[in-house]
This record gives sequence, C-alpha cells and structure tokens, in this order.
Amino acid sequence: MINLAYKDIAHSYLKFIVTAMGVGMLLGIVLIMIGVYRGMVIDAQVLLDDIGADLWVVQENTLGPFAESSRVHEDLKNTLWVNPEIDKTAALAFLNLQIKTPDGVMKRVYSVGYDPHGDLPAINPERLVAGRSIEKSHYEIVVSEKLGFRLQDKIRLGRNIYTVVGITKGAVSSGGDPVIYVSLKDAQELQFLYSNARIRNDRARGLKVDADNHLVNAVVATVVKGSDPDAVAENIRRWKHLSAFTVSDERNILTKNVIETASKQIGMFTVILVGVSTIIIALIIYTMTLEKIKEISIMKLVGLPNMTITKMIAQETVTLGVLAFIFGNLFAHAIWDKFPKRVVLEMDDAWALFSIILVASILASLFGVYKAIKADPSAAIGG
Amino acid sequence: MTNEVGIKVENLTKIFGSGESEVRVLENASLEVKKGEFAALVAPSGAGKTTLLMMLGCVIEPTSGKIWLGDELVWDEDHWSTPDTRRIRREKIGFIFQAHYLIPFLNIVENVKLIPLVNGWPDEKAEKKAMELLDYFDITDKRDAMPSQLSGGQNQRAAIARALSNEPKIILADEPTAALDMERAVSVVKMLRRIVEEQNVAIIMVTHDDRLLPYCDKILSIENRKVVTTTQSAHLIV
Ligand SMILES: Nc1ncnc2c1ncn2[C@@H]1O[C@H](COP(=O)(O)OP(=O)(O)OP(=O)(O)O)[C@@H](O)[C@H]1O
Ligand SMILES: [Mg+2]
Repeated sequence: MINLAYKDIAHSYLKFIVTAMGVGMLLGIVLIMIGVYRGMVIDAQVLLDDIGADLWVVQENTLGPFAESSRVHEDLKNTLWVNPEIDKTAALAFLNLQIKTPDGVMKRVYSVGYDPHGDLPAINPERLVAGRSIEKSHYEIVVSEKLGFRLQDKIRLGRNIYTVVGITKGAVSSGGDPVIYVSLKDAQELQFLYSNARIRNDRARGLKVDADNHLVNAVVATVVKGSDPDAVAENIRRWKHLSAFTVSDERNILTKNVIETASKQIGMFTVILVGVSTIIIALIIYTMTLEKIKEISIMKLVGLPNMTITKMIAQETVTLGVLAFIFGNLFAHAIWDKFPKRVVLEMDDAWALFSIILVASILASLFGVYKAIKADPSAAIGG
Repeated sequence: MTNEVGIKVENLTKIFGSGESEVRVLENASLEVKKGEFAALVAPSGAGKTTLLMMLGCVIEPTSGKIWLGDELVWDEDHWSTPDTRRIRREKIGFIFQAHYLIPFLNIVENVKLIPLVNGWPDEKAEKKAMELLDYFDITDKRDAMPSQLSGGQNQRAAIARALSNEPKIILADEPTAALDMERAVSVVKMLRRIVEEQNVAIIMVTHDDRLLPYCDKILSIENRKVVTTTQSAHLIV
C-alpha cells in the first residue's frame, strides 16, 4: 500500500517544513519560558549550595539573611563552635552593590564577604574559571565572568581600590545578580562605611561615630558527622536567642519567601503560554487539515475508506509534531544562553510539552478529518 | 449482451433544496442497463446527467426510488443498503468523473493502482494492471509525472485508466471524451465497447458527441425529468 501521508508531505515539503519550523519556534519559546522558571528556582539556591553549610544562624525573629535583614555579632562563630556537635563555622556578610564594569556600565552585584582564612570558604572552587580565591585580608576581589573583568583589573569600591584575583562562572544571588566575593573585613567596611565628611560632622555633633564594625549578617556552620542538624538548630534556637535554620529550612525560605512572587509570576505566565500555544498549534493543525478538504473529497469520490484518510492525516500530524519538537529544541538550545539570567532546559519538560501538544494536535486533526469526511464530496469539489 | 441486470433504476426522484430554492432534477425516472450493454446518456446541460450518475455511483442520496447494481439493491427508497457506500464504489464501479479528479500528490501510476491496492491486490499485480492501462492509453512515459504536469487530455486518459484498474462490472462515465480529440475519443469509446463485450460490463456514458453514439446499444435521454430509452443496434467491434 502506498503511504499517502509520506506522498502528501513530499509533494509540498517546503510548506510542511516551514509550518513545522513555525510551530517549532513557538514550542522553543515555551521551552525557554519553562527554562526561565526553572532557572529562577535554581538561581535562588546557588549561594546556599556553594557555601555548603548545614546550619544558618541569624538574628532572632528574622528569616535572614536573604529574606530579611539580619545582624549578628561576628564572634558568634566562636560561641557556636564550642558546641561539640558543631564542626566548622564561618561568619558571612552580604550586601547589594553597584559596580562599574569595564565598559562603563553600572551593574548591580551581590557581594559576599567571607573570612579567607576561615574554615568554611564561601567560594565554590568548581566555579573558579580563572585566578584563585581571596588570600589576603584586604582589597582582593573575586568577580563573576558576566561582569567582564580580567584578572588584575582594578575596581574601586567605597574608598579603596580592589584587585581582581579570581573569576567565577555561574555564581548568582537569589535574584540572579552576579556575585562578587571580598574578604569579611572589607565587606564589613563597605557595609558600615561612612564618608570622612559624615564622620567629621557626626563627631562635631557629639554622636558616637565608631559604628560597630564587627557585625555580620549570618553565621553558618556544619555539624559533625552523625549529628542531626534539626536537633542542633533547635538547640541553638532555645538557648541562644537566635534564629537557626537548617539548609532545607533555608532552601524553603529562598524558594517560598524570597522568590515566590517572581516565580509565581513567571510560572503563571508559563502556564498561560503553554495553554495559548497549544490552542494556536491545534488551530494550525485544524486549518491544515481543512485545507485538504478538496483532496479528501477526491479520495472519498474514488472510494478510499475513512480509515485510510484518517490514518494519512494522523500520520502527517504526528510527523509535523515530531519535526516541530526537533526544531523547537534546536531553537531553544540555540538561544538559551543569550538570556541574561539562567535558563535551564530539561528534557523532561520538553517531553511533557511534546505530549500535551501532540495530544492536542491529534485531537485537532481528527476533528478536522471528521468535518472533511462529513462534508458532501460533490459540494466540496464544486460539482 | 446477457439478461442479467447491470444497472436498474425504478421511480427515482431527486429534489435539491426545498421551498423557493427547490430544484427538481428527476421525478419517477426508471431505466435499465444489462450486463454487456453500453448505454449513452444524452441530454442538454443542466438536465441532471451528472446528478443521475452520482446517485448510481452512491455519491449522492436520491430523494426516493430504488437502485440496483447487479443483483444488489443499493438504494431502497430512503436508505443505502450499507453504510459504507464507498466500498460499493471501489469494488464494483469504475467512475469517470466530469473532471479528472486525480489525487494531486500521487504520480500517475500511483493514482491508477491506488484503488486495487486498497482492495487488497498485491503490489505487483496492481502495478502490472496499471502499466497495461497506461500503455493502452499511451501515457506510459508519464508514469512518474504528477497530475499537474500533464495536459487535460492526458489527465483524462489517466482518470479512465484509474476507473478501469479495479476491473469493475459497472462503468459510469461522465463525458470521458470531452477533453480528447476525435481520434482519441473514438479509440476510448472503442475500448469501452471491447470491455463491454469481453468482460460483460454495463456502461453508462454521458456524451454530447453524436459521432460516438453508433458504438452504443442504448441511448438514454432525460425528458421532463424522466429517462427515455431508445434501443439500437450498435457497431460491434470485430
Ligand atoms: N448540489 C446541488 N444543489 C442544488 N442544485 C443542484 C446541485 N447539483 C446540481 N444541481 C442542479 O441540478 C440540475 C442538474 O445538474 P447536473 O450537474 O446533473 O446537470 P448535467 O446534466 O450534468 O449538466 P452538464 O451537461 O452541464 O454537466 C442543475 O439545474 C443544477 O443546478
Ligand atoms: Mg454534468
């Protein structure tokens, strides 16, 4: 038996491929959109995973440091460390800054201050693509490659000039901003920095000037092997008048409290986009089928059974779906890294989308065939 | 000619539309064409020749009456004998329409062998039959061409080849020779004549050309929405 679907496609393959590409691009956009959503959720947890602590200890009654501002005293890291269940501790300072990139644009960055000589370095060594971590206590900076600096570049922050000693790839804040790393001391200075004029002014007014320079935003800790982080966190909460979160609590805070509205926004948009493109694709398939009403009428006139006609249309629909799926993935993979924030393309998402679209397309084409088959053949061909 | 029924129609009525737009095409028309009989259908334009053929071919529904194809009563007053009327068409009837109605995305040989294949013929047999017919109609060199690449006459010949491909016992032909020159028209009609005699087929052929009438056994005409039959002795092919 002749494969009618193949013959029909071969007869007008250009039109078929252009349609598949158009539908594919639409699918590609949907895939990117799903990827943006996924990227957002992953971005929110990058710092958390890079730092790799088991516990996050922050100011009492706050959800800090990412969801709420939090201040604790730096020496809390020593107090915690006395607990035999605590292995390593580190004090961290977080701060939003504007930085002037080499091409002169001001960019928002998220700065992480950590003790370069401490037990828990904040930089994930896997992210270092050039140079090294911070080694000196002052004026060294590790930047994200997205900012465009090269090693040994000088950056002015506050009153001081910093030297780029390392470049990372992929380190972002919960909001997707590139991360820079400085020493804890530098971070504290940047955070509580006053201009000379302000200091003179305050002194003249008799105000206490020396701001407490030993505050940090969070102290993180790892627990010794075999201890239960939840129990340790509970203990800290009870005895130290602090808030303590395990890494999974913190993950929850990040995805629920910090990026919730933003991710809901994108999530809703994604759902709508999937719905709308399903409808559009179904309509394209439906009109494509109805366009064949003349051919279908001829096939009916010469006596082809409905089954043969339906099979042909269904095969064409599936072929179009598969081609569009391939084009869509190619398209998405060709453009995803042009987006400023993280886009995560997952094959599972692509398959799920493919199934939805395929089911909708087959239904649309069957509905089209049904209408074409019901039509009076002599009317459809005009006599 | 035998005495077996090829095509038989009793009190066939066809009314299109209703009320103001009502068109009465046939009213209580009757006719009979036996197996081995070649009938010409002659009537002015708009008289209902195509409509009659479409009803005989189970394409459009009559308003009332009875139609037999062979010994099968296919239309009984208000219903087809089977919901799958297309099966009747592809197994019993060779239909040559007023337009060629070749499937545009199949090449000529595929168009010709499609129905035999759907009827379950093996590919070699269908291919052999198709090539025989293409050869007979002198379009063998067009076997791989698409219908859009052929002239009107070549397409019409391909359509006739297709109608004969399933070796039908009934042939309904709506002006099969209209797109052909006289020489080819005569040769097509002679061929139909041979099929009638050799294969005991019943044929109704619509034609406007008086020069083709001598090859027919019967002339059917539509007068006052009824079919009038004139029997004559045809030129037999020797
Ligand atoms: N689907 C339809 N709806 C309404 N009227 C129709 C329809 N089909 C045909 N008719 C009418 O029925 C009449 C017979 O039409 P038909 O096509 O059978 O004529 P014909 O004898 O084949 O003419 P021609 O020689 O021009 O092909 C015409 O008046 C036509 O307008
Ligand atoms: Mg006609």
